[in-house]
Amino acid sequence: MRLFENLNIDFLSKRKFFYAVSGIIISLGIVSIVIKGLDLGIDFKGGSEVVVAFDKPVAISDVRDATDRMGLGSVELKTFGATTENILVRTELQDLDEVQFENIKKNIESVIAQSVSDTLFSMKEKTSSTVVYTFDTPENAVLIADKLFLSGFQAGLVSKEQDNLDVIVRLGIADLIKEGLRTEFSGLKFDVIKEDKVGPKIGEELKRDAIIAIVLALVVILVYIGFRFKFAFGLGAVLALFHDVLITLGFVSFFNGLFPGLNLEITQSVIAAFLTLVGFSVNDTVVIFDRIRENLKVHKTMDFFSLINFSINRTLSRTILTSGTVLIVTTVLLLLGGEVNKGFAFTFFVGIITGTYSSIYVASAFVHDWTTRSKKKIQF
Amino acid sequence: MKKFRFKIVLIVALIALGLYFLYPTYADYQNTKSIEKTLNERSELLKSQNPNIDEERLDKYLNQFEDSLKNADPSIKKEREKRIKLGLDLQGGMYVVLEVNTLKLLEKLAKNPDENFAEMIKQTNDVVRISEEPVVDVFTEIASRKGIRLSRYFGEIRDDDDKITEMLRSQANDAVNRAVEIIRNRIDQYGVSEPSIHVSGSRRIIVELPGIAKEEEARQLLQGTALLEFNIVKDPEFTFGVLEKVNKVLAGKPLEDTTKVDTSVSASDESDIAEDTTQKDPNQMTPEEFAKEYPLYSVAMPNPQSQTADLFVRESDRQKVDRMLNRDDVVNILPKDIKFIWSAKSEFFAEGQPIYRLYCVKAAPELTGGVITDARATLDPQNSAPIVTMEMNSDGARDWARITGTNIDKRISIILDGQSFSAPVVRNKITGGFSQIEGIGDLDEAKLLEIVLKAGALPAPVDIIEERTVGPSLGQDSIRQGVTSALIGGLLVIIFMFLYYRFAGGIADFAVIINVFFILSVLAGFGATLTLPGIAGIILTIGMAVDANVLVNERVREELNTGKTIKAAIDSGYSKAFSAIFDGNITTFFTGIILYQFGSGPIQGFALTLMIGIAATLFTQLVITRLIFDIFVERGGKPNFG
Repeated sequence: MRLFENLNIDFLSKRKFFYAVSGIIISLGIVSIVIKGLDLGIDFKGGSEVVVAFDKPVAISDVRDATDRMGLGSVELKTFGATTENILVRTELQDLDEVQFENIKKNIESVIAQSVSDTLFSMKEKTSSTVVYTFDTPENAVLIADKLFLSGFQAGLVSKEQDNLDVIVRLGIADLIKEGLRTEFSGLKFDVIKEDKVGPKIGEELKRDAIIAIVLALVVILVYIGFRFKFAFGLGAVLALFHDVLITLGFVSFFNGLFPGLNLEITQSVIAAFLTLVGFSVNDTVVIFDRIRENLKVHKTMDFFSLINFSINRTLSRTILTSGTVLIVTTVLLLLGGEVNKGFAFTFFVGIITGTYSSIYVASAFVHDWTTRSKKKIQF
Repeated sequence: MKKFRFKIVLIVALIALGLYFLYPTYADYQNTKSIEKTLNERSELLKSQNPNIDEERLDKYLNQFEDSLKNADPSIKKEREKRIKLGLDLQGGMYVVLEVNTLKLLEKLAKNPDENFAEMIKQTNDVVRISEEPVVDVFTEIASRKGIRLSRYFGEIRDDDDKITEMLRSQANDAVNRAVEIIRNRIDQYGVSEPSIHVSGSRRIIVELPGIAKEEEARQLLQGTALLEFNIVKDPEFTFGVLEKVNKVLAGKPLEDTTKVDTSVSASDESDIAEDTTQKDPNQMTPEEFAKEYPLYSVAMPNPQSQTADLFVRESDRQKVDRMLNRDDVVNILPKDIKFIWSAKSEFFAEGQPIYRLYCVKAAPELTGGVITDARATLDPQNSAPIVTMEMNSDGARDWARITGTNIDKRISIILDGQSFSAPVVRNKITGGFSQIEGIGDLDEAKLLEIVLKAGALPAPVDIIEERTVGPSLGQDSIRQGVTSALIGGLLVIIFMFLYYRFAGGIADFAVIINVFFILSVLAGFGATLTLPGIAGIILTIGMAVDANVLVNERVREELNTGKTIKAAIDSGYSKAFSAIFDGNITTFFTGIILYQFGSGPIQGFALTLMIGIAATLFTQLVITRLIFDIFVERGGKPNFG
């Protein structure tokens, strides 16, 4: 079977048109990013997230009412995956605010008072997510720790020493959510299938690392291609990469939440997809550059314009085939890979298409325009 | 064929190596399947025999049964350890990042902290909040910028800053090591299989607990402070008396007067123990007879040569011993004031299995660890044997003097969170709160004991800064979806390649399959972890691996079009495609390295599979497919490029 054989398409003369097309798509993407924003996952924002799987489908509005009554402030609710049994509850908070903290503290103290009527206790220590109570006898401490644990609090003895009087209670958001849902949906059973908590420190670090990683990848590619080819080629490749990343980012922003079940928040795996698409798209570009370099040596008399066109045409079959096969597997991953891989697959899917397009229309065209403008003849 | 011999040998050797690495994964899969089948059968059987059995009991029984199945054949465990490790996102479990609060440690260590000190702590906090720089370094730098000498707060007044910095640094490291030791110890006791605990950076501890169901318990496990106890080890005479009775109960024999403990039993000769209950010399019994007569001793042997009654138990028999000792009839005859404590680490090995010690100690601790102020592992200046010295506060010193005074020549077991780390003999009364522990195997062991002793004294607080829990059902879904999409995606590509390039496509398909095989065996061989993004990485490799083939095949087609012979076309096709394949893959490889460097957990898994995939791609495409073409052409074949 042979497709794309002996083609002779004049890609370069249409470059202005495609510059414009790229420009418009990128601008629309930026508009979407400005208006809709990018949906940062808790990997980067920090916060708490709980995914619960109910045994029967529930209306997300019911869950919203429930979480509103819990007084969690701004809570994000989504279905997780395609089914309506799985609900993701997310809040940016990692710790309870003053009011909730006090409320829950009151609940704890009422449990204590109910368990042992005449016990003397005092609050010993308080952090943003824990309270420590001191009791009069070690026996009471043990008893209260058990009672609190059974009432759904994360309580425990501060130490296992026999004369320990202290009980520590953690007041986490995730636990509050779980407990709240348990009371609100007493008729339904649910399992917690996923639970994440990311501290602000980790979020900051991941954000910084993600930016460093993308910038570093671009720099390394610029240097490598500049070294293996010519500076103009390195620049062309990196420009094409910026182009791909921007367009894909715009798509991710635009399509996020457009269809039910399509959550495209920026998580670590989406960043991985961006870096992979950088690697993949540069691979495409390099193959064309490699052919240009080779043809420059062979066809010394051919003018640069037709030489680039010639090289793109000769590699077109390979470019389309490879992108096609990767597109096949990515599509399968997008459709069947499950919720966790969806963000990765979607990002990469868009990235392959733009990457292939930019290798053909942007990278080489830029090299052409750059060298014509600087009036230097490229030689290898 | 001769000229291909080297390549053929290389390829065959690599494939054989790959099979060797992957075999445990296959064997483990088979084991899991057969254990599951046996468990199901057993469960059906139990339900039919006992229709009213409640879920909890059934589960408990099945768990025990599963453990005994797994322990019955040591190869099951060995293969499990060598199989491809699955990330928590695939098998479910808990991933926790803990951070040792070094700032709090500095605050605790400081003498006379004043406003300046508080200010410096605050500034340090601002820096370390978003960076991984070691806290001590940041703090000392801030101090030196302010022109404040560290000796104002730490160490001796004459010490220079460098010395104090060094001291603080080692304290900070110590706090991390102690926290790791406590966590490891607790996790071991909790019975999580294949936990992973490692230190990252200067003060972070990453804990991975596969398959943890009750995360509340796990959190308590990780954050609570450690319990250090000193318990007197019971005399051998007493212990043997107790063990004797246990054996009788287990063997189903009637007990004689339980108040009469046979004190003539000595550790040096087992036949003595048997004398008054059986007529037969245990040395002449068959193993079966011995096991019937002495069920406990058949799995937990005292060492006849030693002066102690400590029992030695193979790792695989530990649960059996625990079950024996927890039987209601055994618990009934055990004195209430004793308990059995396992040694934390194995001391010996026999037939490739670690052997643990089981101590019989007084149930009530003589002293708990809050009194320890310092501990240090050093070498004894007199005989350069490793020793551990420890210091206690004044309360502790007073108690310790009393305890050691009344227990000379007895052993005191040092127990951290319920496991014994050492049981030194008390030589004489120790006053002044300063004592040393001797008889330690090597310096590593001494170091461990130092950590254990200090762990009793509160380590710096440990904060949970990141926590991810994946339920097991989600993990299973992920595996199923990942594998299904890998198979379908791979199959589609394989079909397409064959249709498009015919024979050459078939060879490319073969190369892709070998490629995936190599990736999996490298993962298994290096003990790397397969994560869900890792599966995505493999899927991506499948897509990209064909790229090199496409490049070559397209090139060969072009060369064939110019009228070259098939041999010449293949030669120049490969050589011309080489630079494109190489440059393209190297740049992708670079992004893999960057991802690996800056990614965490699952992302690193993706980067790793991507990089292995690229290396495997280069090998399979440039060496294996080339060789197949060469051999084919050499034999006069005419490969079809479609």
